Amino acid sequence: MAKTQDQRDKIAGSVTELQAGFEKLQYICSDQIATAVYLAYQLGKPILIEGPPGVGKTELAKTASELFELPMIRLQCYEGLDESKAIYEWKYGKQLLYTQVLKETLDEVLQGAKGFEESVNRLHEFGDIFFSEEFLEPRPLLKALREDNGSVLLIDEVDKSDHEFESLLLEMLSDFQVSIPEIGTVKATGPRPLVFLTSNNTREISDALKRRCLHLYIPFPDLELEQQIIHARVPEIPEALRRQLVTFIQELRELDLKKVPAISETIDWARTLVLLHTESLDPELVRTTLNVLLKFQEDIENVGPEISTLTAKAIKA
Amino acid sequence: MERQLNNFISVLRNLDVRISTAETLDALGAVELVGYSDRERLKRTLSLVLPKTADEKATFNRAFDEFFVFEDIRGEADSGSSNGANKEAGEQDGGGEGEAGGDGGEAEGSGERAEGSQPSGKKSKSKKKKNPYLLEEEEEEDLGPGEMADAQSPLGRQLMQNSRTELTVAMAAAGEAVDLKDIQVFTQKGLYTRRIMDEMGLADLNREISDLKGSPQVPERRLGQELKGRRELLREQVRDYVERQFLLFADSTGKRLREELLRKVKLSNIEQRSFRLIQEIVYRMAKRLATMHSRRKKVYKKGALNISRTLRHNMSYDGAIFNLHWKSIKVDRPKVFAICDVSGSVATYARFMLMFLYSLEEVMPKVRSFAFSSDLAEVTDLFDRNDIETAISKVLHDYAGGSTDYGQAFSDFKKNCLDDVDNRTTVIILGDARNNYGDNKAEILKEIYDRSKRVIWLNPEPKNAWNVGDAVMRNYSPYCHQTEECNSLMHLERIVGNLLKTAT
Repeated sequence: MAKTQDQRDKIAGSVTELQAGFEKLQYICSDQIATAVYLAYQLGKPILIEGPPGVGKTELAKTASELFELPMIRLQCYEGLDESKAIYEWKYGKQLLYTQVLKETLDEVLQGAKGFEESVNRLHEFGDIFFSEEFLEPRPLLKALREDNGSVLLIDEVDKSDHEFESLLLEMLSDFQVSIPEIGTVKATGPRPLVFLTSNNTREISDALKRRCLHLYIPFPDLELEQQIIHARVPEIPEALRRQLVTFIQELRELDLKKVPAISETIDWARTLVLLHTESLDPELVRTTLNVLLKFQEDIENVGPEISTLTAKAIKA
Repeated sequence: MERQLNNFISVLRNLDVRISTAETLDALGAVELVGYSDRERLKRTLSLVLPKTADEKATFNRAFDEFFVFEDIRGEADSGSSNGANKEAGEQDGGGEGEAGGDGGEAEGSGERAEGSQPSGKKSKSKKKKNPYLLEEEEEEDLGPGEMADAQSPLGRQLMQNSRTELTVAMAAAGEAVDLKDIQVFTQKGLYTRRIMDEMGLADLNREISDLKGSPQVPERRLGQELKGRRELLREQVRDYVERQFLLFADSTGKRLREELLRKVKLSNIEQRSFRLIQEIVYRMAKRLATMHSRRKKVYKKGALNISRTLRHNMSYDGAIFNLHWKSIKVDRPKVFAICDVSGSVATYARFMLMFLYSLEEVMPKVRSFAFSSDLAEVTDLFDRNDIETAISKVLHDYAGGSTDYGQAFSDFKKNCLDDVDNRTTVIILGDARNNYGDNKAEILKEIYDRSKRVIWLNPEPKNAWNVGDAVMRNYSPYCHQTEECNSLMHLERIVGNLLKTAT
């Protein structure tokens, strides 16, 4: 059973309520994150989420859609993405097919018309049927606007798209409408979609886009929070091991690495250790499972000599 | 409270956080939603709406902590928030007791009163403020509890009445009188604090305190001690007040002023301590140029069908459109050779030009640099291996110091890499063309001129000195596409900007 608007309003009624809701769905969020979602819902503003990869930016949007029981519409950005893939496209095939089919009926329409001018006038009476809703193929942004009950729109990795695409988003994000020259302006029919944009900061997002969004920076979680997250995600892991593991990861993040392990890697590692029926960390085990955490051979080699000290520290904690 | 928020935003703007009017409105809306009662929640909320990068967030956090501490103190005067009202009530109570002690002669110890007038509601602040108080108490003779005389000087009376509102008003008026809003740099804070204190009647108060100290009567001596303690409190408050005003008005204007100045001032006149700021400016200028020009390269990828070319090229296929040609704008990234004189007089300029060029790495990846004073050597790989600053100081250390010999430098250049100069290369020469009356070898420059796309000579000296003394600009300038006077950041920015523009 889908949630009604009132129920959603109630969930988003306060920060603590939201936090509890997220926790039920195994997404442990800090006060900052909960406040962001709260404001986004109440003010109807998009959230631009930045932070290192793997801290749960995309996950936040997914969980939000689950929490509010709204359909999730995802737009993955990449270089070269343009409006025909993001907003709408005309169904060219259908248009062509229809023209072929209608070619025959054209004679009937034009029967009895005298001269060129009259024929053209008659054709005009049919209007622009080929550029109407029937032939419109909605892409994610348009789809999100047309959801009757509202939706969660995730525009993922917006930094991968081109500058031009950012400008395309502006109209959508500030007024929740898109303009289609042949039809006119399409406005959100239902409640406004809840929009999440994520960015990995590979390039600076333009000020115009930032101005229209709430800006949420998700850093790596601290020890406490990360333990909670692991507890929620991998409940079967023993508590002592959980503490050791999180301490180890936190220490690892202090080192100079090409890619520091993120929460998703911590979770993977926790699952690995559970699978191996581990009770407590030991250097040999860490060495063999290190490739779950570190994704560059260079990093693995660099960390190698440090493993025993790091493990000792983690066990002591 | 709306005004406070506006003030806070202007403080943030002063700290280089860009906040638009729309964002201010957003902030007001968001704050309306969450309210002012919970400080942490307010902070979290505003940090979502106002700062939009990680850097700005850090600035924001610092500014918020500082700004809203002041708010607490002022809150007592406004009695605006419930917090403030509580504190004020406490304050008034304490003050009331104090007065009673003075007037009615109730046995109330000054030490105890110090505690009483700092009610627990003051939290952290109260501890800080009590310190000077206690110190005084230890040093002074212990007069014990007892009667206290009335203060005579106007400021003393105000202090003894302990009326916050009045003191704040007096403080603000004094601030106005000494033109506090003109404060420009932080070193003036002490000065303005003293001026405000003077304006409020510090001299009278001091006189009274010293008079009271010498007084044979115990109540008067007691008053003296009390006044002294309160004077310290006041001084601290005034300092806070000045600090706050400084944050509001000065910091940025001062900084902006200096930046503005630094852009225009001759680079050789810049003092060592401004280097950091200069670097910041250089990076910012370079970044602006980089973003301006990095968009351009995208144009190259797209493009419309070039019909005439397509038709022409497809004639051999009997007119069937087989091989498509597109209109595309090719963006040529400039290949830059920078030849820098690093002898004493020009070294500073070389430093900033190299800094500028290498900060532009994103849009100008192919910079090769050469340094000379007499012998010339390529220093490109120094920049590849080190960060810009270290590289520059290494270059200056290794190559500076000889007497300038342009002839020798050009010969070296010809020997080493004239072959690499092609018609897409821009050669920038930075130097004053002071050749110590040696052979100027202008013919080599001509060769460079013939081979390259452009030769730009940047001379840090003013134009009328280009041919004075041993300067031989007149021999070189015929073989330059462009000669420019270049001795400030503004010049540099303009020249490099043009360089990037002509690259398309």
